[in-house]
Amino acid sequence: MTRRWTTGQRLAGVWLVAAVGFAALLLTAEITRSPLDDPDQAYQRPGILDLGALPALAPPVTADIPAPGRPAVVFFTRPGEAAALCSALAAARLDADVVVVSPGELPGCDDVPVVTEVTRQLAMSYRMREPAGGGAPVGYAVVDAEGQIRYRTLDPTAADELSEVRTILEAL
Amino acid sequence: MTDRPVTQCSSPLRLCLWCVPAVLVEIGLYFSYRGHDARFHFLTHLFVGASAAFVVMAAVAWRRHRPVPYPLVWPVVAHVYAMFPDLLFTAGTAHEWWMDVFLGHVSTHFVPGRNLTWYVVFLGALALYLATVQQLTRPQPAPTA
Repeated sequence: MTRRWTTGQRLAGVWLVAAVGFAALLLTAEITRSPLDDPDQAYQRPGILDLGALPALAPPVTADIPAPGRPAVVFFTRPGEAAALCSALAAARLDADVVVVSPGELPGCDDVPVVTEVTRQLAMSYRMREPAGGGAPVGYAVVDAEGQIRYRTLDPTAADELSEVRTILEAL
Repeated sequence: MTDRPVTQCSSPLRLCLWCVPAVLVEIGLYFSYRGHDARFHFLTHLFVGASAAFVVMAAVAWRRHRPVPYPLVWPVVAHVYAMFPDLLFTAGTAHEWWMDVFLGHVSTHFVPGRNLTWYVVFLGALALYLATVQQLTRPQPAPTA
């Protein structure tokens, strides 16, 4: 015997399938987050300048970065993530002063200056957000030629997405 | 039992055939976002675009007294419209606040509750359209003499 569904039952079925299917997608997006991700993903790679409390004055990272009249990108990384980032930076040749900040010693980063600081004072002074899993941030801050932070984000895959950094630099 | 294999199979088959391009487009849009964290952004624009589409679909259906044709295409088109600045970003144009004209492209990420809120709005808008369809397809009582 074939059961005949009423129109109302079929429409309710469509709604139920959508509710369960998209709940599964939401759940997947939630449980596949990396401990290095921003706890609030709205602030991760937002793609827009001057979000929230920005622009804000950029504290000095080295004696000449940031320098007046030159944009700068301050990358925050960890020793385990640094090799991929340094390799990508060497290939990308961003049109800005670049510096890498790490909480642990790095063996070097091609011709990019490296600042090692265990206390994470620089990350705090740049108001980098704390990753979901805690610890040092992995991401970057973009500083314009006037020395103002215009963009900052956690981005554990920044090495693969330097084109986004270039897009933000061009938008300054 | 009445044997009606053609009639019973053809309807769902027709449904699936025209659904396939819409689903493929959505899969393509999903993979246009790089990085696992971009799923958050994909879902925001999907929920917002589809919700807007369902509201428009309900209004159109109500006005025309029949369900809209190709109902999966409408949410896909609205989704593409809502995420259009992300396509621009991939092409090298950063986001700007005026891009909120694309169904609140920037601002919608920051509503309280984030994507959970848009999920609820999405289900509400879908329910609105489905309720409208049910109302329109309900058998009318025979007119009394």
